[in-house]
Amino acid sequence: MIEKIKEKFLKSYFALILAVLTAYAILKFNKFMDIYEIFILIGSTITFSWMAKVWPNFRDLFTSILLFSFISIFLYQGSLEQIELNFVLKYFLASQSAIMWMTALYPLSLTIYWIHLFTKQDFYGNLATRITWIATMIGFVGLLVRWYESYLIGIDVGHIPVSNLYEVFVLFCLITSLLYLHYEEKLKEKKLGAFVLIIITAAVGFILWYTFEKGADQIQPLVPALQSYWMKIHVPANFIGYGAFSIAAMISVAYLLKEKNILVKYLPELNILDEMTYKSISIGFIFFTIATILGAIWAAEAWGGYWSWDPKETWALIVWLNYAAWLHLRLIKGLRGSLLAWWSLAGLAVTTFAFLGVNLFLSGLHSYGEL
Amino acid sequence: MRFAITMFSLLGIASIIGTVLKQNEPYNDYIIKFGQFWFNIFEKLGLYNVYQAFWFLLILIFLIISTSLCISRNSPKILKDYKSFQDRIREKSLLAFKHSYQFKFEKFSTKKIISFLNLNNYKVKHKVIDGGDLIIAKKGDLQKLGYIFTHLSIVIISIGGLLDGNLVFKIQELTGVKQIQLEDQPLSEIPKSGKMSENNLSYRASILLSEGDTKTAAILRAKEGYLVQEIPFSITLKDFKIEHYSTGQPKSFKSNLLVTDKETGKSINKTISVNKPLTYKGVTIYQAAFEDGGSKLDLLVWNLNSSQPAVQMNSEIFKNNELTFERQKLTFEFNDFRNFNILDVIQNDEQKLKLKPTNVGPNFLYKVRNESGQAKEYQTFQLPIIVDDKYFFMSGMRNSPQEEFKYLKIPADHNLSIEGFMILKSLLNDPTKVKYAIDNGIKQSAFKNIEQKKAFELGTRNVINAFIKGGYDFVIRDMDLNIPQEASIIDKEKAIKTYINIIFLISQELINTYKENNKEKIIFPENDSPRFIQDALTAYSDSFFYGIPLYLELKDFKHVQASGLQLTKSPGKPWVYLGSILLVLGIFCMIYIQEIRLWIFKKKGSKNLIVSLATNRDRLDFDKEALKVRDQIKRITN
Repeated sequence: MIEKIKEKFLKSYFALILAVLTAYAILKFNKFMDIYEIFILIGSTITFSWMAKVWPNFRDLFTSILLFSFISIFLYQGSLEQIELNFVLKYFLASQSAIMWMTALYPLSLTIYWIHLFTKQDFYGNLATRITWIATMIGFVGLLVRWYESYLIGIDVGHIPVSNLYEVFVLFCLITSLLYLHYEEKLKEKKLGAFVLIIITAAVGFILWYTFEKGADQIQPLVPALQSYWMKIHVPANFIGYGAFSIAAMISVAYLLKEKNILVKYLPELNILDEMTYKSISIGFIFFTIATILGAIWAAEAWGGYWSWDPKETWALIVWLNYAAWLHLRLIKGLRGSLLAWWSLAGLAVTTFAFLGVNLFLSGLHSYGEL
Repeated sequence: MRFAITMFSLLGIASIIGTVLKQNEPYNDYIIKFGQFWFNIFEKLGLYNVYQAFWFLLILIFLIISTSLCISRNSPKILKDYKSFQDRIREKSLLAFKHSYQFKFEKFSTKKIISFLNLNNYKVKHKVIDGGDLIIAKKGDLQKLGYIFTHLSIVIISIGGLLDGNLVFKIQELTGVKQIQLEDQPLSEIPKSGKMSENNLSYRASILLSEGDTKTAAILRAKEGYLVQEIPFSITLKDFKIEHYSTGQPKSFKSNLLVTDKETGKSINKTISVNKPLTYKGVTIYQAAFEDGGSKLDLLVWNLNSSQPAVQMNSEIFKNNELTFERQKLTFEFNDFRNFNILDVIQNDEQKLKLKPTNVGPNFLYKVRNESGQAKEYQTFQLPIIVDDKYFFMSGMRNSPQEEFKYLKIPADHNLSIEGFMILKSLLNDPTKVKYAIDNGIKQSAFKNIEQKKAFELGTRNVINAFIKGGYDFVIRDMDLNIPQEASIIDKEKAIKTYINIIFLISQELINTYKENNKEKIIFPENDSPRFIQDALTAYSDSFFYGIPLYLELKDFKHVQASGLQLTKSPGKPWVYLGSILLVLGIFCMIYIQEIRLWIFKKKGSKNLIVSLATNRDRLDFDKEALKVRDQIKRITN
């Protein structure tokens, strides 16, 4: 009954609630935003409303994220000391705690996805999906609260948490799982969670190492080059690209296994795997293209040239060329099969190097996330 | 096509080389890294600036040509396809389609079918063949244009990139019209061949301006030299400001500029910062870097191992001063001055000792080079820094840039000044005062007989002299010479303790005598005198490891900053952006628009209807789509 009312209420009023919140934010905080940021905010509202309309589960996710973030912010009472004093914050809703929950839940859901793969029981499949949703929800809450926390450190320190390697790794986990959940729902195919969650769990491993070994979870103020509204769109767009490419690579792994007669009984049909790889790469490609272009426009504003052959830029080009070639082979030449699967798997190596290796081994203008 | 892909692969490989091999470094660094042999080969290949190398530009040009050819070859067919309805299809081939259906119909109305198809965004054509009806419909044919969009966009972006590249200069360099300048020389002496005119189509030049300076031209870095880029205005840096976060990281770099048009003499005043450039007469001015602009330094040079008073030295950053020390000519090269330095320092914060990032004040960096050209590098802080609850003047020394600085820690006196230490080191180096102190010390002690007294006096004098000449190290060395080999370690330790105590007592004696003679001013700490003396003696002893025992005390300074600006003229930018828009549009068309063609055929007199669908890209969801369309048409005709 309550479920039904909630469903009906959200269906009709979600966009309206979002619009009201947006209007409130603009009225109250316009002193802290420039005109572009206001546009980005309005643009986000429209995008999220649209996504909520076409994807009801996203709407519920978004609502929960908002709800828990507001509760968390309320509990802070404008002071960072509450993290230690308040029980709920300390163990659940402070940004660090929330992200830690996320890092615990993703490996858990990976395990359950594998149980589902072998037992073929819906119970485990549904459970894994649910845990993935919750992990994604709590991760987003962590990031949003981190955003708020950064303002508590200093009004001039505050910024969107996509500015260093730690933050973007969290973002990577969230975006990748969200993309995966979308495919899972659309294709009614839960078996691939066992593969996609591997890459997410790997990223979680990195986050944990980075946090405990390097103390990278500290919020740092922005260097002058990053102080721009462009960061708010360039970075997330890029990570949709990275996330989608990773999913494609993991599905390719399943494809190759199936082709080599491993786990054949448990894996979906080859054509479904092939189709999903294609879909991920194409969505990744379009976002990666947009992100690279946005990056170029930003670079033209901050560094004095839209293209400086900075290592990160150059590797972005190589990633782009790689997937452009992949799409060419498939769309123009009509190629299918294991070559493309291997290729998309190799693409993950190239993408990982562009994402992480450049920061590790090469220096340049993008040196925000050194290890 | 194959050629284009080869070009793309080459582009990729060349780009990777450019990221792995650090670009545009000083040539000397490359020689050290690769050795002369490989250096020469790599230089010939242009690997130190891959992205400006001739062959790299050539790849780009070939890419443009081959992609253009690709477009011109395929476009007519695509455009024809785009327009055509494929209405010459035969019944047989219709039935051969993968998605082809035949069913009986009740009532057939072309009008109804056409309006249904129009409603579903199909473009429709109706044709009568041998008295039968053929309805041809299609949608999503923008997908075909996607091909043209994406390929055209690559050509447009590449042309934009070439416009902004330095192709013109490359040709001028090859033909000898322009020459890269290698020597530093004043603007007026640079020949015409070393200057690019202000009509230069595109450039990314730089200007380094000290506060108060005006410049009328910019510098183009090229290989290991430079060219002068003339600009249509002059730029004056009125002020440069760095703001910091409370944690010490830089928050903003701002240059207040006065830009004066050379033609009209009109000026505009604007502050630029990172992410907020200024565009004037087609040239965009960016905040790119900063450094010291020649800060003025008032210094005192102290000889740490003599009783001499300090000598004055006035200098500025990027200037050299010479000084004769122990018959050697030393060159002081001042390299950098920083007004603001953040270090993690222990602070007493609400009764708790915490490491807190704190501004510890200015420091300066200099090298001291001897006649044979060897240099030691120094970093000296102007103000004392708190270490273990006490203030020290810190000055670091290192023999090469690879080393960490080793710091000399000089304790601050009662007035937080370096004066107390300097008085003590002067007293120690004054033999009459030291003799007086030793005599005084001995007077206060009781001895059994005169021999013991004499032996003690001699011992003390030796220890003090050793210390003055070489610090604790010399004291220990002397002890090793004098004490018999078989003495135990415990004995040695005892002896060292005694010696340290003697040095301490004599120093205290020296200070007490000084205090008696200079009663009007308190210099030495009253309540924690022993600690100060110990720290001062340690510092004195360490000064023998300070390279050259000359300490530079910064009395006063005038901070002058310099701002690094980048000047960009980039006529290709609009083309690149246009190409980018086209690229996104093209990819969107190719990936997200599905082209569907549909034929509905009713043979004359037949009660059967043939519905055939085709898509150029077979996808899983198309099977469902096709069945859906079939069912809808069944319903209409039933």
